[in-house]
Amino acid sequence: MSNRTTAKADVLQGTLDLMVLQTLNSLGPLHGYAIAARLEQVSRGALQLNMGTLYPALMRLEQRGLLRGNWGTTETNRKARFYAATSAGRRQLAREKDAWDRMAGIIHTVLHGEV
Amino acid sequence: MRVAREWLHRLAGTLLRRRCDTDLEEELRLHLEMATEDARSRGREPADAVRAAQVKAGAASQAMDALRDQRGLPWLDDLARDVSHGLRSLWRTPVFTTVALLTLALGIGANTAIFSIVNGVILRPLDYPKPAQLMLVTTEFPELGLTRNPLSVQEYLEFRQINQSFAAVGAYRTTGGAYTTGEVNLTAGGGPLRVRSISVDAGLLSTLGVQPALGRLFTAEETSRVGGLAPPLAIISYELWRAVFGGQPLVGQTVDVDGRLHEILGIMPSGVDVMDNHTAIWLPLGLPAAIRQNRSFHILHVVGRLKDGVTPQAAQTELNALVENWGERTVSSGHVPTNRPTRAADHTLRIEPVQDAVVGDARRSIWMLQVAVGFVLLIACANLANLLMARAESRRREFAVRAALGASRSRLLRQTMTEGVMLCVAGGMLGLWLARVAVHALIRAYPTSVPRMSEIGIDLSVLLFALGVSIATGVLFGLAPLAQGRMNDLVTAFKEGGDRGASGAGRHYVRRTLVVVEVALAVMLVIGAGLLIRTVYNLTSVDAGFDRSRLVTFSMTLPEPYEPDTRAPAYQRLLDKLRAAPGVLGAAAMSGLPPNRSPEAIPTRIENYTASDGSAVEIVDYYQFVMGDYFETMGVPIVAGRSFEPADAASPGRGVVVNETLAKRVWKGRDPIGQRVRPNLSAAIGFGDDSWHTVIGVAKDVKQGGVGKQTGTELYVSLDQLAMAAPAMNVVLRTSLPPAALSRTLERLVREVDPAVPIVRLRDMESVFAESIRRPRLLAQLLGAFAGLALLLAAVGTYGVLSSMAAERQREIGIRIALGADRSSVLALVVKQGLQLTIIGVVVGLAGALGLNRLIASVLFGVQPTDPTTLAAVVMTITLVAAGACWLPAWRASRLDPNVALKAD
Repeated sequence: MSNRTTAKADVLQGTLDLMVLQTLNSLGPLHGYAIAARLEQVSRGALQLNMGTLYPALMRLEQRGLLRGNWGTTETNRKARFYAATSAGRRQLAREKDAWDRMAGIIHTVLHGEV
Repeated sequence: MRVAREWLHRLAGTLLRRRCDTDLEEELRLHLEMATEDARSRGREPADAVRAAQVKAGAASQAMDALRDQRGLPWLDDLARDVSHGLRSLWRTPVFTTVALLTLALGIGANTAIFSIVNGVILRPLDYPKPAQLMLVTTEFPELGLTRNPLSVQEYLEFRQINQSFAAVGAYRTTGGAYTTGEVNLTAGGGPLRVRSISVDAGLLSTLGVQPALGRLFTAEETSRVGGLAPPLAIISYELWRAVFGGQPLVGQTVDVDGRLHEILGIMPSGVDVMDNHTAIWLPLGLPAAIRQNRSFHILHVVGRLKDGVTPQAAQTELNALVENWGERTVSSGHVPTNRPTRAADHTLRIEPVQDAVVGDARRSIWMLQVAVGFVLLIACANLANLLMARAESRRREFAVRAALGASRSRLLRQTMTEGVMLCVAGGMLGLWLARVAVHALIRAYPTSVPRMSEIGIDLSVLLFALGVSIATGVLFGLAPLAQGRMNDLVTAFKEGGDRGASGAGRHYVRRTLVVVEVALAVMLVIGAGLLIRTVYNLTSVDAGFDRSRLVTFSMTLPEPYEPDTRAPAYQRLLDKLRAAPGVLGAAAMSGLPPNRSPEAIPTRIENYTASDGSAVEIVDYYQFVMGDYFETMGVPIVAGRSFEPADAASPGRGVVVNETLAKRVWKGRDPIGQRVRPNLSAAIGFGDDSWHTVIGVAKDVKQGGVGKQTGTELYVSLDQLAMAAPAMNVVLRTSLPPAALSRTLERLVREVDPAVPIVRLRDMESVFAESIRRPRLLAQLLGAFAGLALLLAAVGTYGVLSSMAAERQREIGIRIALGADRSSVLALVVKQGLQLTIIGVVVGLAGALGLNRLIASVLFGVQPTDPTTLAAVVMTITLVAAGACWLPAWRASRLDPNVALKAD
């Protein structure tokens, strides 16, 4: 597979996909900029996605059939490509969320629990 | 699995929803616009806002690059680049490319050719519906050592009645002593023909599940008449219909078969046959009452179709249970099957899949060949790996430069692999073509050496095999250079001025190992070939009991309306005419042609005799019915008493001649001359009364059932005395002329006796013998060819490795010479290096050959797998070849000019 992604992106990749899916799932169809803005807002500015990270991720999700993108217009009558989670995407999100929760729980126990 | 699905998804998503550049650029542009607007709305100056947005969102060009990567399949682009790069670099080294391609084409071609035989003969199911359900039911006589024997008619009928495992059971008959021969005379258009026939009952056809291409099959009523001749009906094969009748409408018409007009009921579909009989004409089974009632006449081959869900093991278990009390179950007695054989006539019933029975002994030979060509391919791989490594050595700088410019190690690895696979695919295609040519030639040259020959060809599984082998080969030898692990060793590559430095020994480890492996594989192959050649030699030098030089034979049949007593004078007339022909020294006739007969096992009464089983009956393996001065013509020595004489015919008493084995078995050292036996003429030949005959002579043993087999017991009966003759006889002539020179005369003389009778299988006895050992001979030839190829490849490989090793030691050798080492010690140095490898290879190969003993032992004759002479000869051959391969590079090294060698860098 592609060997161009840097090590940093590799770490991010799974979680970025998860965050994008979650955002679309809770807010409905959004365009790319809105997704980035939302993630920045939710993370209180900690997560700043540049286009080179965001759009390949969107394309990847779309290629996997987890997202579907279509051109449309914003409320301000601007042309934009809107992304919506597909049912496969929602299923994937549920699965990944569970896995993430479990993992986070395990890590938390290991780091803070009485071993 | 998940990975595969992910890939499919991605591939589909990529191909179906592929977005163009402008679309992507537009999206990015709008993103920037929105970001700028956002920044402005937070109070930035317009120019500042643009910059802020760009800083935050990143450069559109970089995003585009990432998107393009994500959009395309990067490996696909890489592959295209690798392929074109590979093509260019292969083109630049034509010698390497040619040698590699040829080696591959030979290796893959030989493998594909043999696999097409494995596939067509062993792997591919028989061409019947649900072929795995078809079982051959046979009798086994453990005391006589007979297997795959037919059943008696009563046994067949009883089996059909009482078994629960089979959905359908049928029977057929091709031979049975001299009474039916499995061939008939067919008169059609151009003249008399002799074609392969089979007599079947309706049950057999429904068991096999065959349907006619035209017309209909036999009904049960037509094939179950008791007594008299079978009804004059026939079904012919598609091939005969096309070849002889030109595919003209034939169903409903009559054709002359063995002198009787037969109505053609139907035409079989192309390729339909039974047990590889090469059947051309199908006749209804007709059973004379005597044969039908007599339980000791084992004449029916029985095929059953298992019920759905019944395994062969379950059917065999049921059969064993039936045999346990067969007599009570069937209210029969006497010669019934039993599970506890003690007497010669005791036999048991066995089932085996029809496919196994068809392939029979050929299976082992074919697998052996597959293993042998597999070895050849491994040697070819080792050679190519060597070549590639030598090539990688010379390309280290290229790779180092590319690695320095940022190519990853895996990328470079893929580059060499791509070249390997490309070579292999090209080599594979060449090989496939070679295989096609070779298989065609093989089938033409040896049409009957292998069962199911007509089914051998290049089909989808063979194609897949060739593809698989090509790719596996490519990966295998493409990987080898990496084992050296030097590819990304930049610093070394740049630092080492060239390839003439004193290189570490570790780098040669892989290449030395390859030489050892090549030699070891070659040793195993050459041993196999050597043993087979010994086997063929032993088979050809077996004393068959008669003088087969200058002996010509042919076969002919005098069918209905001839009767036994009108045939005899006809044959007599022919023999007289033949004796008078120029160049003919003697002429005689016999019912069975050695050395290819199948045992008849005829129960024979012997006076004042008690066989091992307590009865007065001895099972005689062969009856030979003879006419004329048989023993003199064949050159069979009479060891006691006398042979038949013309005067015997007039005298009232009848005489027989026995062979040495029968004399020993029955009379155990007593004088057999004057003893009396009662030949079972009706069983053996279908006519004549079973009167007492006196033994008048003992003939030397003649190999009747194969030169490699034990001689059986044999009884000679004179047809001149009986004044009767069998329908089919083998005429034999002692002559100084070759068959070709005789054929005109013979045809004319036979035509003078009966114009409707064809001469078949006219040949000299030497060819009859060659034919009888055709399988071991073919095996020896193929194995010999593969061994030769292996030897050549291994020699080339050894030579290659040694040359490059010597070349890399050039500086060292130069110094040695400069310091006064004489040329011969340099020569010895290099040769020693090579011979060490060879000796390790030979030892490993000998060990491997010992391990493979069991595979080859069963096809050998008169030689042990560990035969010291053969092994010694092989070791010597290999060592000589290796010495030759080592000597050339050594000689070159010894001629080295130290000035040149030391100044080279």
